[in-house]
Amino acid sequence: MLELEKIDFKKMGFRAGIEVHHQIKTKRKLFCNCSPILCDGEPDYLFERYFRPVLGEMGDFDAGMLIEFEKGYRVIYHAYEASVCNYEQDEQPPFWPDYEGIYMGYELAHWLNFSALVDEVVVSRKQYLDGSITTGFQRTMIVARDGWVPVNGKKIKITNLTVEEDAARKIKTENFGRTVYYNLDRLGIPLVEVISDHEDCDNPDDFKKLAEYIGLTLRLSGIAQRGLGSVRQDINFSIKGGDRVEIKGVQDLDTFVDLARREVVRQDMLIKIAGMLKERGLTKEDLEHTYIDLTENFDPKIIPKNYILMGIRIPKLGGIYGLEIQPGKDFGQDIIEKTELISGVPRSYLFHSDEISQKAFRRIQEKKMNLKSEDYQKNFFFQNLTIDLNKKIRKILNLNKDDAFFLALGPQKWVIHALKKIVERTKMALDGVPQETRRFLPDNNTEFLRVIHGQDRLYPDTDTPPIDMDMEKIQKLKEKVGDRPWEIVSEFDEKYGFSYDQTVKLIRHNRINDIRKLIEEHNFDPNRCYVLLEETILALTREGLMTKSLSMKKLIEVLKGAHSGDFDFNQIQAILRLIISNPKKNLKQILSDLKIKKITDKDIEELYDESLNELDKHPRKNDFTKEELAEKVTGNIMRRINGGFSGKRIFEIVLSKLEDK
Amino acid sequence: MNKKKTPKETTKQKRDPIGYKGELRKRLETEGIGVWSEVTVKKGDAVYEGVILPRSDHTSEGYLVLKVDTGYNIGVKITPDTTIEEYGYKEGKYKLPDISVKFKDDLPNVTLLGTGGTVASRLDYRTGAVLPAFTPEELFSAVPELIDICNLTPKKIYSLLSENFQPEYWAKTAEAVMKEFESGAEGVIIGHGTDTMSFTGSALSFMFQNQAAPIVIVGSQRSSDRPSSDGPLNIINASTIAGYVDLAETVICMHGGTSDSYNLIHRGTRVRKMHSSRRDAFRTISDIPLGIIDANQKVTFLKDDVKRRGDMADMWVDTKIDPKVAMLYFYPGMDQDMLHSVIDNDYHGVVFIGTGLGHINTDMYPALERAQEEEIPICIVVEPLWGFTNLRVYETGRDMLARGIFEGANMLPCAAYAKMIWTLGHTQDVKEVEKIMTTNIAGEITDRELNRAYMIMQGVEPGLDEMLKQVDKNPREHRWGI
Repeated sequence: MLELEKIDFKKMGFRAGIEVHHQIKTKRKLFCNCSPILCDGEPDYLFERYFRPVLGEMGDFDAGMLIEFEKGYRVIYHAYEASVCNYEQDEQPPFWPDYEGIYMGYELAHWLNFSALVDEVVVSRKQYLDGSITTGFQRTMIVARDGWVPVNGKKIKITNLTVEEDAARKIKTENFGRTVYYNLDRLGIPLVEVISDHEDCDNPDDFKKLAEYIGLTLRLSGIAQRGLGSVRQDINFSIKGGDRVEIKGVQDLDTFVDLARREVVRQDMLIKIAGMLKERGLTKEDLEHTYIDLTENFDPKIIPKNYILMGIRIPKLGGIYGLEIQPGKDFGQDIIEKTELISGVPRSYLFHSDEISQKAFRRIQEKKMNLKSEDYQKNFFFQNLTIDLNKKIRKILNLNKDDAFFLALGPQKWVIHALKKIVERTKMALDGVPQETRRFLPDNNTEFLRVIHGQDRLYPDTDTPPIDMDMEKIQKLKEKVGDRPWEIVSEFDEKYGFSYDQTVKLIRHNRINDIRKLIEEHNFDPNRCYVLLEETILALTREGLMTKSLSMKKLIEVLKGAHSGDFDFNQIQAILRLIISNPKKNLKQILSDLKIKKITDKDIEELYDESLNELDKHPRKNDFTKEELAEKVTGNIMRRINGGFSGKRIFEIVLSKLEDK
Repeated sequence: MNKKKTPKETTKQKRDPIGYKGELRKRLETEGIGVWSEVTVKKGDAVYEGVILPRSDHTSEGYLVLKVDTGYNIGVKITPDTTIEEYGYKEGKYKLPDISVKFKDDLPNVTLLGTGGTVASRLDYRTGAVLPAFTPEELFSAVPELIDICNLTPKKIYSLLSENFQPEYWAKTAEAVMKEFESGAEGVIIGHGTDTMSFTGSALSFMFQNQAAPIVIVGSQRSSDRPSSDGPLNIINASTIAGYVDLAETVICMHGGTSDSYNLIHRGTRVRKMHSSRRDAFRTISDIPLGIIDANQKVTFLKDDVKRRGDMADMWVDTKIDPKVAMLYFYPGMDQDMLHSVIDNDYHGVVFIGTGLGHINTDMYPALERAQEEEIPICIVVEPLWGFTNLRVYETGRDMLARGIFEGANMLPCAAYAKMIWTLGHTQDVKEVEKIMTTNIAGEITDRELNRAYMIMQGVEPGLDEMLKQVDKNPREHRWGI
């Protein structure tokens, strides 16, 4: 069992970095005059394309791009005339880029302390062969380098800030993932990308805070587009002896720590596996591409038409594929996921020798799945590979005791491609952790998505000449920079004693100006203000009330009433509830509707006497301790005044009176 | 990033600051820094590190272009107090990985003549433009599918932008094509810039006599330096046609729609570029295309008058031309001095693009009379592109005919222009020129136009919505990359 909780990140040499992509609020798309809007429903038209890699500027094919090409996608686009023109269709060169969007990038650079602002912007092309961009490359431009964000007393480097066009939205895939559908509406909407140094964060907590600060800065700057899908985060992790692995499209900050733990154990296991293989004396030359046709060993009735079943001997890997590398998932599965994605042979048609065990992870997963899903495709080999047949296959493949094998079923070309990929990935196991971009799954485990893209996939855009920027104007944008989230956090901590989480909530809900006004201008108690803004109003919203209709003026009036003792703070929620549903009534009327009266010390004295008298009738009156008695009396008083005063305060008064007695 | 980088002091080499101009160039030269130098640039608080790239023409002076570690390029304005220090040198060489190609006996031999169109290409730093990559190795590594289609021999005959493709080059190209047929090619492909492709297509159609094998002109509308280029599919289709298809005409083979699903095979004399940038810009005018070739290279002929392959020994090429031909585009308010100027400049023939059925204004008559007197043939074709000339319907037309103008029937302007140049290469006799010009030679004039031949959709036709949502019913078979 892998022990996620016991990881010592420092000891593992953990490193993390983040790329935050955020849509920005502009009137048009970055390279054409389409509106930056999303469309749904029946598309106006469809078209389809295929992509192939082109050379980087320095003269190399990017390795990642070659793998992408190998996947051989057929890409079908859904287009809407409201949001797509010939540009998104890749049928015309770009228009001049949207200056508004580029300047927003510089504005954000000031917020994030960037020191090297780019004088002349060069539009670059970043290759993507997955079809998400019709040109096959994303137009992107770097506007600033060398920024930083303070996290827990340390300056974390923000290396680059770019402005770029967003990609199309994936709708679905068909034909074992070989046919991909995209909606083109999002393509071309401007994004900013903020990239942190991937070596600068050495623990997940700092990392989470870094991500949070970048996100909050975007929010405070006001340039960010709000709404679902407007932000996407790619994170990358490595450990000592491992390598940089990128996890794409993480939405929720709360998953960061778990993702980090699961990636750390994975890399740690891959390093250990490399060690074991070397210990067994395995070399890359031992792994041969000899595929054996095993079709005739299976009942012809169960082999689909035109399919064959092939196997390959993998020397010295016995027991290795079955090693758990992420919770509930073995090394073999990691390879199978990658093979499925590249070759198109579904994982249910792939099998490794350690899976003959009934305790194999994928068998356990399948048992769970069976209960839930009707259309889940059961693994062919779990169904049909008997113990005897397994023995026979081991014999045919000439397996020694510490050897392993892989089996694959499908059309011949597909099967050979799959087995080839398996051998290649197994060879890589000798080197430990391959650089990969991975996608995360519902359980926070991850699977292969593509080889990490290198710098060779970038080359200049020949369609747009370099753009001289107006550096004076850019310097002036500095004036637009307000308090940064880390500044607000430390200010609120010092002045009001707010915790980090409290301040973050206030920023997130856009309450900074409000709370400052309440505390600074009206001298209200900071905590009371916080409770009102972040808890009371939220509670009312959850009741389904239109809390947006509550004006600042009303809130100030109510807080003033509570501070001057007209009513207790814990009645605020009830008062606001009535204010919302009776917008025409003034506070006085509301208070009278609620039968809330100002309670004076004299009132409490009287109530105390009344309650004590009432308790005299209690049969076990004399058994109570003083505290118990005080509680009873307080409860009684609270009932009489309809909760209109602080229970805690009444308890104190009652207790002291009882003691005086 | 934290590596200590110390500038080299001792071995200051001479480096070339390619493309840099003015003060900055002087400064780079003085400091021994040039293109491919790895440098640290300091300006105030800002520090930039990267490789110096060549500077493009027509860009502002004073900026240094750096490729930084992420692969991006940025421009840094160099001020007098900016420091530039070299810490290394890293030369970029753009080359496609080599693939060794062995010809197979069972595959047809096809030659690809490069004239400047791009199938594979590379970037020119100085101009920022795209140049063709043209060795067989380059071609096959960019489009590996070609290896299994035919024994393709690429030959670069010149590197011309489409707009610089003069009539002299039509003749040279035709001769080069003929040479390939004589050396055993079963088909010839011409890589061509798309702008003037239909001019070359027309010219070659007239030049080849008893054509016995296909000549396929091909190019790309989206440059081949992008992953979405239409070039690879176009060249794959062209190779199939050149190598296998029973066709003996000069054709243009380009995308039929915006999808990578099928190409159309257009007759060289009937085709025209109808959009400035789209993949499906090439359309056959006043007729339907000769054929269609699908995503798996299956060819279907759509017309029954396709000229089939014949005896290679009978084929010859007639490249006599006289390029002194002008083309005038009539517009309301056109002054006759335009035609006078053509005559003054000793042009030997004129193609006039007239409005409607082929009209020009009466103010032009004196100039027409002068041309008639000086025996300069004038052929009129129609501005609407679709349809025939007819100068007998209106009186003005008859007046024009009386002044020596003759009708170009439904010839496209580009076809009429190429034909006039070729005709004048053979005879300068006005009557003879008119006779040749008004007789169909290579499909440039048809005797009838059918309803389907005029299909300009307006995007609102009933049933069109469904058509626009159809996907390819016979998509490309799954392939596994290189």
